[in-house]
Amino acid sequence: MLEEEVEEKRVFKIPVGPQHPALKEFENFTFTVDGEKVIDVDFRIGYTHRGIEKLAESKTYIQNLYLCERICGICSAAHQGCYAQTVEELAGITAPPRGVYIRTLIWELERIHSHLLWLGVAAHEIGFDTLFMLIWRDREVVMSLLEMISGNRVNYAMSTVGGVRRDISDELKHKILKGLDVLEERTKYYKEVCMKEQTILARAANVGILSKEKTLKLNAVGPTARASGVDVDIRRDDPYGAYDEVPFEVIVYDTCDVLARILVRVDETIQSILMSRWILENLPSGEIRTKFARKIAENEVLGRVEAPRGELLYYIKSNGTDKPERLKVRTPTLANLLPVAEMLKGGYIADIPIVLAGIDPCFACMDRALFIDENSEKTWVWDKEQLRIYSIKWYKEHGKEVVRERWKQ
Amino acid sequence: MPVPGTLEKELLSHISKKPATEMYPFVKVEVPEGYRGKIEFNIEKCIGCGLCSRDCPAGAIEMVEDERTKLKKRPKFIYSRCLYCAQCEESCPREAIKLTREFELADYDKERMVIDV
Amino acid sequence: METIELLILILKFILFPGALFCIAYGWFLEWFDRKLYARFQNRIGPLLTGPKGVLQPFADFIKLLAKEDITPAGADKFGFTVTPLLTLVVSLFTLLFIPIASLSGILSLSGDLLLVLFISTVFGLLIMFAGYFSGNRFSIVGTERTGLQFVAYEIPFALSVISVALATRSLEIVNIVTYQVNTLKLPLIVIVPVAFIIYLISSLAKLEKIPFDVPEAETEIVAGWQVEYSGKKLAFFRLATDLKMVFVSGLAVALFLGGPYGPSIPGLEPVFYTIWFIIKTLVVMFILSNLRSLFARYRIDQVVRGFWKYLIPFAVLQILAVQLLIFLGVI
Repeated sequence: MLEEEVEEKRVFKIPVGPQHPALKEFENFTFTVDGEKVIDVDFRIGYTHRGIEKLAESKTYIQNLYLCERICGICSAAHQGCYAQTVEELAGITAPPRGVYIRTLIWELERIHSHLLWLGVAAHEIGFDTLFMLIWRDREVVMSLLEMISGNRVNYAMSTVGGVRRDISDELKHKILKGLDVLEERTKYYKEVCMKEQTILARAANVGILSKEKTLKLNAVGPTARASGVDVDIRRDDPYGAYDEVPFEVIVYDTCDVLARILVRVDETIQSILMSRWILENLPSGEIRTKFARKIAENEVLGRVEAPRGELLYYIKSNGTDKPERLKVRTPTLANLLPVAEMLKGGYIADIPIVLAGIDPCFACMDRALFIDENSEKTWVWDKEQLRIYSIKWYKEHGKEVVRERWKQ
Repeated sequence: MPVPGTLEKELLSHISKKPATEMYPFVKVEVPEGYRGKIEFNIEKCIGCGLCSRDCPAGAIEMVEDERTKLKKRPKFIYSRCLYCAQCEESCPREAIKLTREFELADYDKERMVIDV
Repeated sequence: METIELLILILKFILFPGALFCIAYGWFLEWFDRKLYARFQNRIGPLLTGPKGVLQPFADFIKLLAKEDITPAGADKFGFTVTPLLTLVVSLFTLLFIPIASLSGILSLSGDLLLVLFISTVFGLLIMFAGYFSGNRFSIVGTERTGLQFVAYEIPFALSVISVALATRSLEIVNIVTYQVNTLKLPLIVIVPVAFIIYLISSLAKLEKIPFDVPEAETEIVAGWQVEYSGKKLAFFRLATDLKMVFVSGLAVALFLGGPYGPSIPGLEPVFYTIWFIIKTLVVMFILSNLRSLFARYRIDQVVRGFWKYLIPFAVLQILAVQLLIFLGVI
């Protein structure tokens, strides 16, 4: 920004990111501000691009289970579960009921942990560090439950093609039920705090408005859409897993602001706790997984789940080998990015963090878009090593141009 | 009616409460049964089929020529690459691989982060 | 004889209860604040450096001194270098007026309450300069916010102090303290409780603590006005903040809680007074820590509106109430 320009227009550009305390991951937002008011928002995505989709084409269906899990740290089970269920569809096998129920349980427990995590982050963004610490302390309960079930706190590796990998014993079931009681009590307490605490209301009510029309027009998904009065939930609209049997309510608020987004998530957490309890009490007996032949005939399937952040979409195409020909992921954050730009306009600088956080962004999830060379019709499969060599070679040849191009921008 | 300071009661109750912080490096954390930690490999049971190596998503298992035992090839675990998914444990037909509860695996030297017989 | 008196005075300035004591006590207060803040959040807080981590602020200071000191190319070199030092000196200077070991501060002159009030407003100005000189975008926003917040909190702060001055009919800190000790025989908080609350709230804003840490809001503008400061300069700023903490709590003790006076053995007054001073300031710090762990951060417009809409009217009411009490002859 040139100095003359500042003087002329009295506007100012503030970069938020790629590194900024309000963003937990790397992404660049440029805000044009006049004093404390935000006039315009411009964002650049792609900082966390890792080439996962291309990599997936060189790995077997089994290996991809763990690759997809690592697209996102917070909604790892949603990614893995969605992948597994899409591959099941692709191969034409069905997981046994007990396996499906356990998978659903993991999804719901993950939703609890993700929403509590988000609630803590939201509190931190509005400078309420005490609430942040307390919520994260109580989130440990569900984290250790998941660790007990799966053997890891973050990457559960529970779903596999044809079911789940670990069973839940009766002893474990009691432990989980006990943990759920604690969580229910605490979540209800935090809901009360969020609704009563004046300092939270001052920062969250009537902030980051996204009207229902805009929500529909810009295709917001998940809790962000539900907080703007749009009644969508893949779990109900297109039931998968055990969701056609588990009773639950879809939470919709229509105040369209950050407070609604907070309340939607708190209420969903309570719903998830109730659902998890129902699943545990009605766990069918029997096998937890079916056999899966490693090769899948030519086919293509589009699968979707309701991840904690919204609709998560997987498209997989098989070609008769044990590796997918194409794997495409559309994560909720990408869908929510345009709405968030809309929310930020006209607000205050002070509201940027909480509004940005309001969609529960996961940039590592989002940044997988790849440029496809339309001219070359040849298809080939590269393994990781070839990809690495190619990238080094390409950058040796083109690196300077790329840098120059970026400087021009 | 919104009021500021709803957390006050909760905060004051913390004064007499023990901190929730794990005293981790000083007090060791108990991980639950079934935790996916460092790999334990039993060469006696291994038949050298290479299934673990084929299924490993991270390429952490390499099949190497084996002269000392009767096998043609044996797996070598490079756990600096491992992502502890336990797929090898699942793929192994003879239960030769097991993930233990050991989790403090950081090292200064990559060469040392290998499990080999 | 004269040389010995001079020597004692110099020792008073440098050692006790002057600079060194205040600096050490500032670090202690920071530790106390951090530890309490942590305990309120069910955490441990500083733990390893010294017993229960009490040396942590000192260790932080030493570490920062050893860090690389960067002056950004866009900064005003002179201002950028001078402001941290000036802030430190100014905050040390105000402490000389705070009664610690006796009923009067090391320096005491008629009308020193006004002087102290004036110098404490210089803090705010210096912070604005600090942000302005560093020429960073985040700093500029931080500076704007500091200025706005400054407009908000200084007036209720001064009004609350004025109601004390009215009640004691004096502008000298030592007179205010002796009035509480000898004439009233009670701390002034009994007479002017509202002023005490207003004083505490505005000092939270003065110290830039939650819910009024708007000028350095981490998640919004990284660190606001101090974003470009590093190494020695940052160390000085942080030390100045600690000293400000001593100043704010010390002034609260002097004005509202009867100064460092308390039951003591005759002849050992300095020791006992110091102990009472420490106890009373810790009580004030406890309240401040509790308050700062209780709220979410307000937005800058909400801060200004809140101070002008609620605190200033109440402060004026308090002054009127004091006038009424004087009129009725109660005090």
